[in-house]
This record gives sequence, C-alpha cells and structure tokens, in this order.
Amino acid sequence: MNPITRALYFAGAALRMMRASPWLNVVSVLTIAVSLSLCGLFAMAFFNAHALIRDLGSSLTIQVYLADETTPERAQAIEQRLRGHEGVRSVVALTREADRERNRKLLDPELLEGLDEEAIPGQPVLELELDSALASRGDLERMVEWARQIEKVESVEDVAFGAERLRLLFAVLEIVQSVGVVLSLVLLASALFFVFSTVRLAIWSRRDEIEILALMGATRRFIRSPFLIEGALQGLLGAAVAIVAVGLLHLELEGLVRDVYLLNVQPSLLPPGMVMWLLVGGPALGLVAAGLSLGRHLRV
Amino acid sequence: MIQLYNVHKRYENGVVALHDVTLRVREGEMVFLTGPSGAGKSTLIRLLLCTERGSEGQILIGGRNIHALRDDSVPFLRRNFGVVFQDFRLIGRRNVRENVAIGMEILGLPRKDIERRTEQLLEALGIAHRGAAFPRDLSGGEAQRVAIARALVNEPAILLCDEPTGNLDPTLSREIIDLLSEVNRRGTTVLVATHDAALIERYGCRTLTLEGGRLTLDRPRRDAVGLEASGLGASAVGTASAAAPPGREATQEPAEAP
Repeated sequence: MNPITRALYFAGAALRMMRASPWLNVVSVLTIAVSLSLCGLFAMAFFNAHALIRDLGSSLTIQVYLADETTPERAQAIEQRLRGHEGVRSVVALTREADRERNRKLLDPELLEGLDEEAIPGQPVLELELDSALASRGDLERMVEWARQIEKVESVEDVAFGAERLRLLFAVLEIVQSVGVVLSLVLLASALFFVFSTVRLAIWSRRDEIEILALMGATRRFIRSPFLIEGALQGLLGAAVAIVAVGLLHLELEGLVRDVYLLNVQPSLLPPGMVMWLLVGGPALGLVAAGLSLGRHLRV
Repeated sequence: MIQLYNVHKRYENGVVALHDVTLRVREGEMVFLTGPSGAGKSTLIRLLLCTERGSEGQILIGGRNIHALRDDSVPFLRRNFGVVFQDFRLIGRRNVRENVAIGMEILGLPRKDIERRTEQLLEALGIAHRGAAFPRDLSGGEAQRVAIARALVNEPAILLCDEPTGNLDPTLSREIIDLLSEVNRRGTTVLVATHDAALIERYGCRTLTLEGGRLTLDRPRRDAVGLEASGLGASAVGTASAAAPPGREATQEPAEAP
C-alpha cells in the first residue's frame, strides 16, 4: 500500500468505528461544535469591541487651554513640546480670536444678537489629535496621565480630555475578555473530555480486535492511527458545524446592526481568519484528546 | 527454530510459572506441549510472542535472541508467528473474509492480493462458502478453521496453537489436528499446547511435558504408525527429532549454545 492508500485505509477504519457508535460520536461532535461556536462568538465580540475602540480612539482630542496673556512665542514653545510626544498625530494652534469665532458658530445666532463680542468665550488653545493606536487600557491611562502633567506646565490653564467613555469601554472589554477566555477554556476542556471519553469507549469496545492486531504483528502506529483519525474527524465535523452556526448568527447580527441600529459595519463583523482557525483548531482539539486517551488507555 | 535456555518466569506476586526450562524445536517440527492446567504451557507461548518477558534465561527465535528485544521491534518478531487460540478470538464485527484479511492489511498488501490470497486460503480450508458469514453464525469447527486461516495468511514460519481443540468435540478436534499436521507437512513449524492425552497418543508427535513450570519429559515422535492411522503421509513431521531416543529426559541441553 502506498501512503495515500494507507491513509485511506486508516480513515475507513476510523469511519467504521464512528458508525459503530453513532450517538456517542454525535454527542462528541456537538460538544466540540458548541465549544468552538462560543469561542467564535467571543472572538467576534472581542474583535468588534476592539474595532469600535479604534474608531473612538481616532476621534480623540486633547484641548490644552492657555492663559490669555500667553505670548505667541510661549504658545509656540508649548506647541513644539506637545507635538513631539508619542501618540500625538497633529497639533492645531488656535488664537483667542479663532477660538471665539469657532464658539460663535456653535452658539444659536438668536442668543448672540446684541451681545458684546467680549462676552463670547475665547481663549488661546492647542488642539491635539491623537493616534488611533490606543490598543489597550494602559495606552489610554498613560495618555490621561500625560494630560494631567500638561496642566502643570507654565501658561497652561486647563486641559480637556474626553476619554471617560473610552475608559469605560476598555473596562467593559477587559471583563468581556476575561469571561470569554475563562469560559472558552472551560468549554474547550469539556469538548476535550468528551472526545477523550469517546475514544476511551472505542478502545474498550475494540479491545479484542486490538489484542489480535498486536499479536499478528501490527505496529503501535497501525493500531493507534484509526483512533487518532476518529478524534480528528470529530473535531473537523464539530468545527464545520461551528462555522455554519457562527456564520448564520453573524449574518443575523450584521443585518440587525445595519437595519435596526443603522450602523455601517465595514467590512464584516467576523474576525479575519476565524474560519481557518476553527478548521485547524477543531481537528487539533480532537487529535490531542484522542492522543491523550490512547496514552492513558491503550496498552499495546 | 525455537530455542529456550534456562528460562524462568516469575511473577511479581512470587508465583513461578516456568522454572529453568531448556528446550529446542527444530524447523519443520510438529510438537505437542502438554501438562496439567497451570503447568506453564500458555506462559511459554506468551513468552514466545513477547506478550510477557522472561525473568531469566534466553529465548532464540530463528537464531535471534528475543530476550533483549526492544518494544518497537516486537511487532516484527510476531510476524514470524501464526497464532491459534482455544476461544478462536475472531473479531465479531468483521465477517470471515475480513477476519482472515487482517494479517495482510497489517503488512499493507495491495487490496487485490489480499482478496486473492483470502479466497485461496478459505478454499483450501473448506470454508469458502462461509466467506460472508460473521463469527456468531459459525460452528466451532468452522470458527477454528477461520482462525487457522487467519494465522496462516502471511505464511508464518511458526504456528503457535494454544489449546486449539479445547472447545471442540473429539471428531472436530481430530479434523483440526489433521489440518495442523497438513500445515506442518508443508514446512511450517507447529507447536500445539494441549492437555488432550488422546490426541497426543493418536498423533504420536514429539511431546514436551510441563509440570509445575518444569519441563519434565521430552518424548520424541513415535514412528509413522500413528500418522498413517490418521490418514497422513509418513513423511509428515518432525524428521529432526525422530532420531532422538524415546523417553529422553528433558533436562538435556540443546546441541547449540545461545
């Protein structure tokens, strides 16, 4: 037999074993499918929360209000100092007049009628646009700390940094991440245990065959291969079911987000490469569980 | 073909299954291994198959010392043997053809060769018409023939039979031993563990007697009278051991050193 025929022979033996105890295999496949689906959903939630944070991060600005009497030279020196800081994409300097003009546009023209020009607030201000590379809560906290330090700089009167919502989102994301990781590990462990048990039962129900094969000169690899393939096939089937389940759910969610919340989700809610990860992870999970079970229960 | 030198088998619980067993079975011999239950017959077969390892002594198969054989080499040693058991040990999920084919599947032979050889063997053993049957549908005699076909499928040098007639009536037992004698006549070394004194008497092959783990008697093959009576040719078996004096005590050392 050439290697391909040999592999097909082992696959045939594995399929015969699966056919011999269909319900056990169905339960095993479904356990893997549920575990991988939930892992996929967590990955989806995490991926999208991160995308949202990136979006919010890119619209973040820090306003540094300078004292009225700040000279242009001093303002320029502060601007230079801020511009060089890591995480700052650009700095726009507004004079008192420019700031006042901007505020005027924000206010209701009726309110402004007859109002003294000096009554409209206006102050020299440096507007810092931040990089969208705020990948973690740590990055954000460092930026908040830096904003506090700017307040202490001479001629700086006030610093406004609207990062509270983002900080909250980071906190929520951290919780989602922790719960997701713990729950995924528990689910994967239970799937591992199911495949482990299925293979153990398969070994037990075939102990006569295993003994005869060993006495007739079968190598360990010959005896173990069908069990390993059985585990991998269970994992592959579980992954396929999970991909269909996550895919359907994803379509539903995308439709919901687009039509009900009128948000534009681009390009997709699905993390890139997730299908590939599930297709690799499923069989790998099955293979590991079958290998552990063989190591524990097969004595040849 | 098979040489044992001062072989001991002592279990962890202190039971001694074999005690200082020295014997030699030549290529092409047919030998009965007898003794009461617990005498060590099955232990000896297990040691030959390396399903258990001896505590002391040397075992040579075809000149190769198996005492120090690595675990991953054991399967290749076992391919020298065909094995037949009292309880047949056919695989219930496989039909007769599939049971017989196992040995060739292990060797990875092409499907066509496997099918051809399986049909040949079933034909030769008179069970070709039962090829599609499952073990549960076979009579004892048929099941043992299938087991023998399975054991012979890769043309092993040595056929080990552990109480092959233990579950069969006297007529079927004779049929099976006739079959084994025929296999031996074609050149295979055959070792049959049995406590059926009538069969041993009838066939008159060289007989090794174990008692309490010791080899107490090595009785050489009786002259061809018994074999002719059983319908087999005079040239059948054990030419190498035929020259030895009758009733030779088993403690005699083999001619060759390990």
